[in-house]
Amino acid sequence: MLKHYLKIAFRNLAQQKVLSGINIFGLSVGIACFSLFLLYAVHEFSYDRFHTKADRIYRIVEWWEGGEREPGGYAWAYTPVAPAMKRDFPDVEYAIRLKGSDCIVKAADKVFRTSITYADTAFFHVFTFPLIYGNTNTALQQPNQLVITQEKALQYFGTANVVGKTLELKTDSAFVPFTISGVTENIPANSSVKFNLLGSFEHIANDPMVQQSNMNWYMTIGMQAFVQLKPGSRLASEQNRINLFRRKYYPDDYKPKKNPTKEDLIQTSFRLQPIRDIHMNPTIEGGNDPKNIWILITIAGAVLLIACINFTTLAIGRSAGRAKEIGVRKVIGSQRKQLISQFLAESFLLSVLSAATGLMLGSLLLPLFNQLADRKLSFSFSRFPELIWLLIGLIVLVGFLAGSYPALVLSAFKPIEVLKKKVRVGGSNLFTRSLVTLQFVLSIGLIISTVIILQQIAFMRTKNIGLNKENLVMINTEHIGNKRIYPLYKQAIENNAGILGVTASEMGLGAGEGLMGAGYRDFKGELKGVIEYPGDYNYLNTMGMSLIAGRYFNPALASDTTGAVIVNEALVQELLGTTPEKALGTQLLNAKGNRGTKTIIGVARNFNFEDLKQKVRPQFYYRPSAFQPSRIFVRLQAGDPGSKLALLNKTWKKLVPDAPFEYSFVDEKFDNFYKNETRWSNIAGWAGGISIFLACLGLFGLAALAAVNRTKEIGIRKVLGATVTHVAGLLSKDFVKLITVAFAIATPLAWYMMHYWLQAYAWRINITWQVFALTGAFAILLAVATVSVQAIKAAIANPVKALRNE
Amino acid sequence: MIKIRNLEKIYRTEEVETVALNKISIDVKEGEFVAIMGPSGCGKSTLLNILGLLDDPDNGSFLFNNIEVANFNERKRADLRKHNIGFVFQSFNLIDELTVFENVELPLIYTGVKSGDRKKRVEEVLDKMQIMHRRNHYPQQLSGGQQQRVAVARAVVNNPKLILADEPTGNLDSSNGNEVMTLLTDLNEQGTTIIMVTHSEHDARYSHRIIRMLDGQTVLENIMV
Ligand SMILES: Nc1ncnc2c1ncn2[C@@H]1O[C@H](COP(=O)(O)OP(=O)(O)OP(=O)(O)O)[C@@H](O)[C@H]1O
Ligand SMILES: [Mg+2]
Repeated sequence: MLKHYLKIAFRNLAQQKVLSGINIFGLSVGIACFSLFLLYAVHEFSYDRFHTKADRIYRIVEWWEGGEREPGGYAWAYTPVAPAMKRDFPDVEYAIRLKGSDCIVKAADKVFRTSITYADTAFFHVFTFPLIYGNTNTALQQPNQLVITQEKALQYFGTANVVGKTLELKTDSAFVPFTISGVTENIPANSSVKFNLLGSFEHIANDPMVQQSNMNWYMTIGMQAFVQLKPGSRLASEQNRINLFRRKYYPDDYKPKKNPTKEDLIQTSFRLQPIRDIHMNPTIEGGNDPKNIWILITIAGAVLLIACINFTTLAIGRSAGRAKEIGVRKVIGSQRKQLISQFLAESFLLSVLSAATGLMLGSLLLPLFNQLADRKLSFSFSRFPELIWLLIGLIVLVGFLAGSYPALVLSAFKPIEVLKKKVRVGGSNLFTRSLVTLQFVLSIGLIISTVIILQQIAFMRTKNIGLNKENLVMINTEHIGNKRIYPLYKQAIENNAGILGVTASEMGLGAGEGLMGAGYRDFKGELKGVIEYPGDYNYLNTMGMSLIAGRYFNPALASDTTGAVIVNEALVQELLGTTPEKALGTQLLNAKGNRGTKTIIGVARNFNFEDLKQKVRPQFYYRPSAFQPSRIFVRLQAGDPGSKLALLNKTWKKLVPDAPFEYSFVDEKFDNFYKNETRWSNIAGWAGGISIFLACLGLFGLAALAAVNRTKEIGIRKVLGATVTHVAGLLSKDFVKLITVAFAIATPLAWYMMHYWLQAYAWRINITWQVFALTGAFAILLAVATVSVQAIKAAIANPVKALRNE
Repeated sequence: MIKIRNLEKIYRTEEVETVALNKISIDVKEGEFVAIMGPSGCGKSTLLNILGLLDDPDNGSFLFNNIEVANFNERKRADLRKHNIGFVFQSFNLIDELTVFENVELPLIYTGVKSGDRKKRVEEVLDKMQIMHRRNHYPQQLSGGQQQRVAVARAVVNNPKLILADEPTGNLDSSNGNEVMTLLTDLNEQGTTIIMVTHSEHDARYSHRIIRMLDGQTVLENIMV
């Protein structure tokens, strides 16, 4: 029986080449899209499960709750906490601290900038990072030992077997030799713990800052800590044990306060976060919001749905032609059940064929998708065994989604009615029309959203942020004798043609550069965060920021390095509640409420140092007396930067031969703030493009069917004097109506969604009606063009032929 | 009104070449009622389609009201057709999706008649064909005879000078057939030229003249008295 069904199904597919082509191609594209997003989702949810002891590894987080604060956690770890846990809790098998830091490495006379992570010795007992060379038991025993990833080994030495070789590392002023004791396999893409070079924590144990933090239970130095519990331990859920532990080391936090301030109301606790929870828990800093994944899956599902709808509508549209076959089958005794099986066999066959091509298409598109999603995914059934089941489920689902409605409708035909031609499902029943409308609602909605996201990105990129970010080069001088290099370098390049200015700061600018700040009291006594920018005297003028009151720093005045600050407008407004002129000479109140160390000498116009989601926060600039700039800024003359960069590079090589010349353009650093938005616009854009393409593909098939089903009518109309325009209009009209309805539905939905999305941006565009009008016009034009191809073909056919074939 | 000379129509398919019309020559005067008869496949419908400007001949001359139309393009033919010629088919060829009224109205829409005038004109014709009471019905809800009356109404609604009927009674029983023939005769008496293809000697007797065809040629003409 199944063989019979499949045989007929194959024949039907082969007979209707155009329709089958549209169906298979459309479904393949849909499945390709969906499987890519599926892979992405599976990957995101698979983080950290490759550790063989993943169910016993926990990260120590600090949880804040109460007061006016949203409950949330931070993954910073205080240096002495992890060892104390190991000491106090018998269930803790190992405690591992991880401290990352930037460094410069020298290998075979070449220099690179990279990062090094220092870890406690038991690292490899806890985490599963197999060594290709070396021994996990001894790899981190000596303070000057180093484990390196295969990738970095190849980059530095050109070979992976580098155990025993020496690598020189500089984190301070001088290079220190390390011996490579192990080479790990490359870190899996779905690992939260990542490293390039892994050193022993012992190596930094005597570092003054680490020692200081080891004694101060409130000091954070950018460290994370993990514990591995013994099998059977339930410590992670026994919160009161952990609370008692904290009470022991932080007794002051538990003493009742007389006049508690807002900050005092925040209750702090330690928690143990399962390692597999890290990547997808948005309540702890750095975790991702699974909501985004569901949005992606929904978008991909929409694309797939559009492809499935094509199958359904085309199958129904074709039913007019198949009515006779069904009538005959029924007359010779076929039961409804068998007919349903017949139609489902067809859709399943189609689903399987499409899945096969779809997966091929998916793997072809994977590199592009990786670029869009900023991931390094691969279709690996061994790494993601659940993919097999998900894909099989997908095939079944697609077969059912696409085939069940036609199967039910067509099998319900009554033979007599078929003969009397009373059944009219010829591609225009209400169900089909709703489905086509739905397809265009989704496509138009996605396209409108894309356009609005793109507009917002363009707006943020081009908005005047109060600083001239064009033609500005930022050079990284971290770990290379900051104090010494800057004056030398500045002097060497300053007076060259094409160099308009040179300045420096202890802070970078743009995405991924971090901020420094402290709390200050406002005029009402409330504590407010203020961003502090340590820069050189000429920082503001070189950056192209303007003053609205007061003066710039003056190198001739000694007092300008001992407490003079230039503040921004936001600080004047929020902390002082006064005018810029009146602010001059005012002294800032520090967190303890004391005056006297910082006096305002100027007020600068606001400058958006963060992304445009944020309002400009209070900020001030100062010139530290012990200035240690980590970034040099060079303003270039507009025009081709090539020759100027060459000069910067050449000068660098001469002055600092043992450090790489690393620069970036500040405008690009600012653009990087919007990587996420750009990614979303790419994804929505692709999805929108693909879905409107699929929807039009379906429309093309439907129009072809409509033309076939209406051949006779068209013939008659032509005999009666209808012109080509009349006939083409007649066929297109119905479809244009559907798209207009779709547009009417999509517009408010898209507006609402995008309006909501834009609320996250302090600086945002207004949604204009033009976006909707243009998108609507585009969709309708595209649909008309698609349908016209078929309509015109039908309209210019000789009516005599149409009437002959009765 | 119609003067064709040495008209040829040849259908070529991959294997065979069918000469549907073989140098045929015919004259039809204004006001005449002509019947065309002949065995199946002799080219009657082909001739009618060419006379109706639905198809073009491969060779020969075709004067319609003294204008040479043999080499007219599709647009010109359509224009001439919709103002001058009405069609009645064996299988009625009504549009299933439209009501009786809308079917009859269609030719008026295509010739650009205003909606108010259309309504008057359609009602007039439906009245004449005694089908007014069915104006809002769909074709499937009518009997064959009623459907053919609607088709005739549609053919004459534009007041064409020429009506071409291809076996108009072919799908009807004799009483319905006679009714349609009476309608055509009435129209002819009011001045419309009619050319009708038929297999029925009985129907042919309503005409003034019978043209007998064989293998794409005329073989005999009988004048009816
Ligand atoms: N489109 C076509 N392609 C090929 N051959 C055709 C075509 N139309 C008609 N013919 C052939 O031309 C010849 C004349 O056909 P036509 O339809 O004019 O015959 P007829 O006299 O109307 O026959 P009937 O009485 O059966 O209606 C036939 O042999 C037919 O097969
Ligand atoms: Mg015929």
